[in-house]
Amino acid sequence: MKKQIGWCALAVLLSAVSMPQAAPAQNAKITVMNPRGIQPPIRLIPMPERGSIEGKTVYLVDTKYPNTKPFVNELYRILKERYPKTNWVLKEKIGNYMVDDPDLWSEIKEKAQAMIMAIGH
Amino acid sequence: MASTTAYKKGIPGLRITYTPHPITDRPAEVCRKFLEGKSPHSGKPLLDEIIEAISKPLSAEDKKTGFLARELRPRFLPPDTADHLQQLFIDGNFTDGGPVILPTEEKVAEMLKATSRDPDEIVGTMRPSPPHEAWEYTVEMVAINAVMAGAKPEYFPVILALASTGTSSLFSSTSSFARMALVNGPVTREIGMNAGIGALGPFNQANTTIGRAWTFISKNLGGSGKPGETYLGSQGNALSHGNLCFPENEEALPKGWKPFHVQKGFKAGDSVVSVLSGWSLNNIAWYSQLTIQDVIKNWLSHFFSYGIRQATLLIDPVTAEYLYDQGFDSKEKLADWLAKNSTTPAWLYWQRREKQKELGKQGVEPYAGYLKLGDGAEIPESRYIRLPSRSKPAPSGRAFSGDAVDTENSLEVVVVGGGTNTYWSGGDFSHLSSAEVDPWR
Repeated sequence: MKKQIGWCALAVLLSAVSMPQAAPAQNAKITVMNPRGIQPPIRLIPMPERGSIEGKTVYLVDTKYPNTKPFVNELYRILKERYPKTNWVLKEKIGNYMVDDPDLWSEIKEKAQAMIMAIGH
Repeated sequence: MASTTAYKKGIPGLRITYTPHPITDRPAEVCRKFLEGKSPHSGKPLLDEIIEAISKPLSAEDKKTGFLARELRPRFLPPDTADHLQQLFIDGNFTDGGPVILPTEEKVAEMLKATSRDPDEIVGTMRPSPPHEAWEYTVEMVAINAVMAGAKPEYFPVILALASTGTSSLFSSTSSFARMALVNGPVTREIGMNAGIGALGPFNQANTTIGRAWTFISKNLGGSGKPGETYLGSQGNALSHGNLCFPENEEALPKGWKPFHVQKGFKAGDSVVSVLSGWSLNNIAWYSQLTIQDVIKNWLSHFFSYGIRQATLLIDPVTAEYLYDQGFDSKEKLADWLAKNSTTPAWLYWQRREKQKELGKQGVEPYAGYLKLGDGAEIPESRYIRLPSRSKPAPSGRAFSGDAVDTENSLEVVVVGGGTNTYWSGGDFSHLSSAEVDPWR
């Protein structure tokens, strides 16, 4: 029994001695490498000036997301009813909703004060 | 999504309003009710918001020019304790939500020994989805993410090849895509990938950590995976956890069945990683008096998910041997038979064929005959026959090498598994691109 108590005392003593040594290792600072990639710059694109839409042209673009045409058509009808002094132009872009249509964007920049586009499902 | 896209395009002040959801396939009267109602986002009348958006003069903020502030990228992060860095990585969305191997310079240097490429060489560009800007990354940056994932250096050329495809495993779409990394060729044996029992499960270091590295690469090097900004998948996708990274069981291919990469124009001795895209998988072992090809055909006829015009079949070696014994002495023969013999449920067939339906009502065949079959019928047209404009696969990006292979159907067949059951999985995956591994050694 005496021998066991002696071993226990030694174990307590050893752990008491070793514990302060473990603490600094846990708190040691290390340097790691940055996992992030290279982000390109994003240039701000100024928006065109706007004002009253009376007498102006506004395009409404159907992106052709599948089966959203009835919604766009209805929006066109309502806008024409409520704002008859505005020239509302309803256009379908080329291709499906993933395809770019630079010609249409050029046309809108040239002719319209603003564009409304319905996106999504 | 709209606001994030506007920001990424350099128009952070773009006016956006919201309608109730969904607007797809809603009749005109429902659309009018939505439009005459309020925005569910702001609570204001929707039409008023639209008119204000296109008529209210710009603010000083809207007129700012120059560049948007971007994240700085020092090569090293500020020193800190390991615990704090682990939390920093998790809080910064650098990981999959779990702890990682911290990428010390020594560990990254060890990883870099597995390639002859210069650490500063640009591997590629990646973006979360087309509207987003592409980020660029070097060999060293890929190595950092490979270390984090727990990959061994010998896996690194596969990871570099995967990164070179420029494909994010976390494609940002509200529909929650999943991506698959299929590895073929000698490298799979060299690095000990598992193509046998449990190949698709969490049982192998190479399968798991290559797939995990793809997640980190997508997030940290491809700018993907920030929910609500660069990841819009409403529910997310459980398959994204491991990104379905596995090798084809080439040793178990029946006689005459080509490995996947050979089907795509590579040589059998090439090591290749192929990227496939889809949403879901069904796991099937169906015991009946039907042949397995008939069961697969019936599944193809009725299966639908977000993707309905393509499918990939992951076939266990036992099932592959069965199909070979049924006379399918090539994958192509099986895919062709399945495509030609599968049908389309009437409800699905007519959903996106308004013009054809009108022609059918006017007596034009075959639509008139199809209409006579009724709403519950199976229309004898397959969804998996490629339209003429889609007859050539469209591998995205410069990573695709090998000859483009002309196929008449949109079905892919891969053999994987350990042969413990007449099992097969099917899902809406299609091949995007493939990249050779050896140039990255």
